[in-house]
Amino acid sequence: MTRFLAVSNRKGGVGKSTISVMLAHAAAAWGRQRVLLMDLDTQCNASLMLLGGEGWEKASRSGRTIADYFYDRFDNVAGDESVYIVNNVGDVAHPRTAPGRVSLLPGSLQLEDIQGELYLKQSKKDLHADAVALLVRSRMKRLMRHFGMDYDLVILDCPPGLSFAAHAALDMADHIVVPFRPDFVSQFALDRVALLIERVENAEQLASIPFAERRYACLPNCLTGAGHERLLLEQIALDHPLLATRLPVLDSIARAFDWDESKKSMEQKYAEALAHLRKLHTEVFAGTQRRAKSA
Amino acid sequence: MRKTKALSGAAQDAYFRRAFKTHANLADEEREQLLGSLKREIAQLRLRLEPLPRGTPPPKPATAAPVHSQQETSAGPQAAATSARFDPFSPNVVVILRTSGRAAALAALKGIDTEEHLRLLAREQRLSIGSDVVSLSDLRAAIVSAAERRVANRMAAAS
Repeated sequence: MTRFLAVSNRKGGVGKSTISVMLAHAAAAWGRQRVLLMDLDTQCNASLMLLGGEGWEKASRSGRTIADYFYDRFDNVAGDESVYIVNNVGDVAHPRTAPGRVSLLPGSLQLEDIQGELYLKQSKKDLHADAVALLVRSRMKRLMRHFGMDYDLVILDCPPGLSFAAHAALDMADHIVVPFRPDFVSQFALDRVALLIERVENAEQLASIPFAERRYACLPNCLTGAGHERLLLEQIALDHPLLATRLPVLDSIARAFDWDESKKSMEQKYAEALAHLRKLHTEVFAGTQRRAKSA
Repeated sequence: MRKTKALSGAAQDAYFRRAFKTHANLADEEREQLLGSLKREIAQLRLRLEPLPRGTPPPKPATAAPVHSQQETSAGPQAAATSARFDPFSPNVVVILRTSGRAAALAALKGIDTEEHLRLLAREQRLSIGSDVVSLSDLRAAIVSAAERRVANRMAAAS
């Protein structure tokens, strides 16, 4: 059964794309899974990490992006969606006999415009604005889920902010990883994204949902070991499930995503960050499997 | 008779590792981060050859610790010396307030018995207190009130 894992936070610059790509590599290499990464962010960072600038531009020119997919198939989901996918992306070498691989539905700078256009197209049907938004969102969910058959894991790299695509991804994901940096405004961002994910209106309603039943877990990222970080993490842990994995600021993570065509092993690519990635992979997958079983 | 010995380099690292091992609640990566941070900041440490028995207060420095102004404690060598003895991030006032209430937060602050340390804690935990508050009990109350305002501020944003 396909699992959908979203990586999301309304706040930008928290490492969503980096973590999406790291998890995609880990699931393919260590989990031996067929992974599809859907780049829902108009910055297209995950696509650039996996294809490089020229590869992404080529995919974009040939109409192989998520914006093209949404636009072309909005009224008719059926059909061969594989034409939009770029297979075997990234610079991690997988043995030929291993089933694990990473495929990409590339991001597009046009995705926001396309969403506006689709909304306007639907609004001609004399529907209330909320109903139109719901219609667009549910159609997008259906389009995203349509990929499920061919993959073990679909990773949804969400944009900051709240587009229809981001809403759809949060609605349909089985499990959501919310990366954050330990600074003052991050706790507000976590509170807000948690309300959205759990579909509640305020902190009291959120508090009534036990951590074990929540669909999301927060991932502290870019830690330096400073005292104020410990303070903030203790405070955040009162309201939100926190992963035990803590990602420090590491050159090896930043440098892992310098585009390089040559294939390499996970050890070569992630260097000193490898142990952190192993821990993250184990923890996230234990979480998604637990949720799948309970569902 | 020699009562202390100096440690530096690998011997100093090994000492820190041994010391961290006694704290089972620290994750391996946290230990490594702490070690990295201490390696950068401390060139040499001086170890007692015979540790003081548990419960013995550490001897007072030869000269009384100066009372620092807020500016002085936020930077400079004196601040480093102060913060080496006192952890301004503990107790976590917001966490105690939310989990155990105002009285518990006030009680937790009772262990801090200098204006300097209370002000340092307030500043590092971003709990705003007035400069005109002088008595220790008023300072503690002001810190807890600031923590209450901080909690209310966050709740307001999440509604």
